[in-house]
Amino acid sequence: MPLVTESIAPSEEDFAALVEVLAAEPRRRGELTDLLREEHPFYNQRGASTTARMRGWVLVGLARAGITDADVPFVLGELDTGIEPRVVAAAARALRSYPRRDAAFAPFVLRAIETIRAHDEPLCLDEYGAYAVAADATTAVGELLETLRWLGAAARGVVPAIEALRARPEGLDRARRRQLDSTLRAIRGDAGAGPTPACCNLAEAVGLAVRPADAREDAAPLAGIRFEDHDGMPVTFTDGFLGHPTIVVFFYTRCDNPLKCSLTVTKLARVQALLEARGLADRIHTAAITYDPGYDRPERLRRYGADRGLRLGACHRLLRATDGFEALRRHLRLGVNFVASLVNRHRIEAYALDARGRVAAVFERVQWDEAALVARAEDLLHESTDPPATAGRPPSRVSRGTTTVPSALAPVASLAAVFFPKCPVCWAAYASALGIAGVQLPYSPWLKPVLVALVLVNVVSMGLRTRRTRAVAAFAFGAAGALALLGSVSGLAGTPVALGGVGLTLAGSLASVRGWRVRRGAGRQVAGRRGRARNPCNLLNQPRPQSSAS
Amino acid sequence: MTVEVQINNSSNPRARFVSWAPSPCRIRMTNSSGAPAPVVSVRLTSTAAPNAGAVVFRAGPAGLFSSSVTLPVPVTGASVPFFVAGRFARSSTNNGDIRIDASVGGTPVGSVRLMVRVRKNANVLTAAERNRFIAALARLNNQGAGRFVDFRTMHTFASDAEAHRRPGFLPWHRAYLLDLERELQLIDPSVALPYWRFDQPAPNLFRPDFLGTSDALGTVQFAATNPLQFWVTDGVQGVNRRPFFDTALQSANVITEAQTLALGAQYPSFRVMEGNPHGSAHTSFGGSISSIDTAARDPLFFLLHCNVDRLWAKWQRQNSRFNPADAAAYDSATANRVGHRLPDTMWPWNGVTTAPRPSTAPGGALATSSTTAAPGPQPRVQDTLDYQGRISPTARMGFDYDDVPFL
Amino acid sequence: MTKKRQSGKARGSARPTRRSRRAVPPSGRAALSVATSARRSIGERVAALTQGPLAATEQESDLQKVIAILRNGDEPIPVRLAALQMLQAASFGAPAFEPLRGVYMTALRQVAQDPDAELRQRAFGLLARARDGFAQRRLLEGLRDPQKALVPPEKALQLLAYDIHAEAYPIAREIVSKPPSAVAKREALRLLAADAATAPVFEQILRDKSEAPELRQTAAGALRALQPDRLQAYAREALLDPLENEELQATSLTALTQFGDEASVTGDTSLLTRARRLSTEASDAVKESALQFLDRYDR
Repeated sequence: MPLVTESIAPSEEDFAALVEVLAAEPRRRGELTDLLREEHPFYNQRGASTTARMRGWVLVGLARAGITDADVPFVLGELDTGIEPRVVAAAARALRSYPRRDAAFAPFVLRAIETIRAHDEPLCLDEYGAYAVAADATTAVGELLETLRWLGAAARGVVPAIEALRARPEGLDRARRRQLDSTLRAIRGDAGAGPTPACCNLAEAVGLAVRPADAREDAAPLAGIRFEDHDGMPVTFTDGFLGHPTIVVFFYTRCDNPLKCSLTVTKLARVQALLEARGLADRIHTAAITYDPGYDRPERLRRYGADRGLRLGACHRLLRATDGFEALRRHLRLGVNFVASLVNRHRIEAYALDARGRVAAVFERVQWDEAALVARAEDLLHESTDPPATAGRPPSRVSRGTTTVPSALAPVASLAAVFFPKCPVCWAAYASALGIAGVQLPYSPWLKPVLVALVLVNVVSMGLRTRRTRAVAAFAFGAAGALALLGSVSGLAGTPVALGGVGLTLAGSLASVRGWRVRRGAGRQVAGRRGRARNPCNLLNQPRPQSSAS
Repeated sequence: MTVEVQINNSSNPRARFVSWAPSPCRIRMTNSSGAPAPVVSVRLTSTAAPNAGAVVFRAGPAGLFSSSVTLPVPVTGASVPFFVAGRFARSSTNNGDIRIDASVGGTPVGSVRLMVRVRKNANVLTAAERNRFIAALARLNNQGAGRFVDFRTMHTFASDAEAHRRPGFLPWHRAYLLDLERELQLIDPSVALPYWRFDQPAPNLFRPDFLGTSDALGTVQFAATNPLQFWVTDGVQGVNRRPFFDTALQSANVITEAQTLALGAQYPSFRVMEGNPHGSAHTSFGGSISSIDTAARDPLFFLLHCNVDRLWAKWQRQNSRFNPADAAAYDSATANRVGHRLPDTMWPWNGVTTAPRPSTAPGGALATSSTTAAPGPQPRVQDTLDYQGRISPTARMGFDYDDVPFL
Repeated sequence: MTKKRQSGKARGSARPTRRSRRAVPPSGRAALSVATSARRSIGERVAALTQGPLAATEQESDLQKVIAILRNGDEPIPVRLAALQMLQAASFGAPAFEPLRGVYMTALRQVAQDPDAELRQRAFGLLARARDGFAQRRLLEGLRDPQKALVPPEKALQLLAYDIHAEAYPIAREIVSKPPSAVAKREALRLLAADAATAPVFEQILRDKSEAPELRQTAAGALRALQPDRLQAYAREALLDPLENEELQATSLTALTQFGDEASVTGDTSLLTRARRLSTEASDAVKESALQFLDRYDR
């Protein structure tokens, strides 16, 4: 019996033998299920068709062993979006080994028939990697119809859809049409209990994982990730994902399964429309990140998104990771694998991140519902009372030397930042404020005009900063303080006004230091976007996603 | 005294293109100083270089065309309608190679340049026409990052049933080609999609400076000056095409045009041309063009289908099959799959993504034109039949074939 | 009437006779009867298959009979090739094709192992374009072990490139470094152009004047798709280099004309000066591309 570890990619023959071993040993069932993870190392550097052979064989093994609840999401995922006949057929067969005939399975089986029937083919499922060269073999549709027959009375809810299929049997040869008829008869004739009202949404039950706030993984490992958006603008994870909930999906432009990436991005456009309709488009951001950053350059991203109705702007972006994709992949445990730099296989995955960039909900494997995803993100809006790190702050270019400090120390850091002189001008400004207020300082004839000039410099620099930060209140304090100080200098006001001016100036400085950041190094200012101030979430006038109604 | 002449009822320079079907135009007085009367007779004529296009005029929506027309134009500035059409067999070779002159009593009062732009046999294009076409096509492709990716995506196994082996095959591809052509015209308005006449040898088409020559392996070679050398589809560079016939001397392995037009006067019998010559033209090669899922990766695909559409246009004229109300003009039964009945809108332009349609509809609505509003952003099957506006002038779609007249 | 000749380019296919091409196509029943009759001549059977209306048939049984011809190793090769062509045409136009697509795929897999090279190659081509795992596996086996090769290596690479998710990248890299032939290396490079990580290899080949011009042009196209700014930088250098190959100069001019960044090119006086010179002093191909370049940027 071969014993292979995850660190060694086995040959296909060894892989097939391993699956047989695992299928035969109930104690090792979990390992068999584990082989269905797209990110499993055994699929690394495998081509897509090799991966399909391997996954199909795992499903056949599971069919022999009998699937459990843990396998159901994988099986339904293949039925929901699979386009390889071998894997879909194996999934249909595996489903029949489940101990319960659940009516909720029937729509998945039917959907798979609709998807696969135009490119079905004879299959050899019982021998690893065998391809049919004769026509007398099972087919994906054949296995799916057999699964409907197995469902029996539990499939009565989809009888109208099956009848519609019979009325328009495009792509089904005579044998399949006969099988379709007999399946209908079997379902109608099954004396078992019919379908009970669904107690839950099966797609959500198998595809959705929710993490309460105290169970979410810290997003710190993602802080260093750098992206480039659809306009070629650099974006860090910190700038792009903190301070607001974000809906994140993954895709790539060279995906050849239209039920995955193309549909994912199309649905994201519908999510955007829902957000806009509810007035949440500037409070809940969206991001579509490519698995293929080397090829999906900004112009390709933009084209792909625009062609699927995405509205693009500072709060809604298409992104490629220019640095740190592996960290992203590891942290999120993305369901993807590669051959060279190309994706060989990936699952559907959509995430709702909270305002700290932590994963709060994951929708995976089966098609997610747009309204459900929006609802999850909306919940996140209300859940945290902590002021977001960058709420309302326009996105900025990459800043060097910034870091986040633990929140307990943040107020101390802020006051230290206020009171600690940041540059020689600050020393002079403080000196000027104190001197003008009557604090004894060594006299010099030139002190007053120089200090007045420095106060003005302080006000002007605050004004320039306000254009970026929009910290209008801070500027207002600083300006009022400057007026008071100047009034005192000119003799129009007395010492109390001067002291008030000092206080206002200091208050303005405090208010301008926002959030919990401490700048290191040369104290280089973050370069913000130039140009006139605008709502950063003002979506471009893009064509609205068209109705999905027929 | 000056007048303004608007082609296709628009002052937009991008509207100054006509074909054989009459285009609605108008003239109005813009400066009436020196006008001898409240209504002035303005004579319209045209001039062109020897090998340029030529146009004819008609004062109203019916009647004969002539080489000039005289119109009563009020000094108030009110517009007076008239019609212009390309003179059959005299298409332009360059943008603006025809000038319409307006004169009053022999004195020029205005002029406008325009082009008779029609789809031509690719084998007889001038070098300039060829170069403009391939330059526009290469820019549309833009190394796999341009709008062409949508046209490639529209024609895969996922959308197969929307466009093949059913009555809507011809209407769908007519809309598809029109969409592509209009996108090309956004890049260069003088471009019209040429057709590959596959039942005749086309040695000028399969050359390094046009659609390339195939080596023994079937990899297409382009000249160093040919921008199609940068063609990318599905992330892969280049074109695979291996002809099973001598492209310099032979036609593809298809039935002739005469045989095609003789398939039958009713649409159901005519549309078997989808198998032969259409399918046979595709499979006269190995390479991308010989499989539905990959055919749109080869630029030749669009010229092939342009000829298929031309054959349909010829059949329509031969049998007067332009009216959707004519049962012989189409094969519309309620039992047809959705998208193949006359009143149905067509994917992807309708944006419908619920079953049985494909799950996504990339690319959006059909491209617009400055020369006509038809067939609209979400064309129906029936909107594609009256492409010359014979039944309803507003149905004119703005394209014509060099050898399919209007009259 | 256009004169037609047999040509080496129409390999492996029997050309229908002039008379059969110009005759009215036979009806479906009649065509099938001729096509399946061993008593008829090869030319008649080929014409019935390729000139008749079978490609649009609505009868599954018609196509099944033609599939049987395709599978039958005792049938003449030209007839089997015509059957293959007809079936593939039917995939475009025959309502009866859809339910038989899977059966057709199994027939192709069988034919991909046929003794006849042309039949094998055509079958592999159709399977490869369908991204068939069977075909990919056999093609890869043949590349790794030439004894098992069913098509030449350059053809295998060309066909594997239809699926960018196939497992061909390692073997393609090996072939680039140790090519059995120039054309195999070229096809390996075309395949590798789908892998964004290969961009440095393309730049290296592009800048290596000892490489064949055709390979350098392939590299140029690939680099343009993956890192257009790098190609623009190279194109500029190539044009300013009087020792650079003229084909590469023409390619560079074409790339800049089509896809160049207008602002940087129009401001590049050295480049414009060089292009003006090339428009009068170089080979015809370079002159033509230089004139197109100047037409865009030197107005």
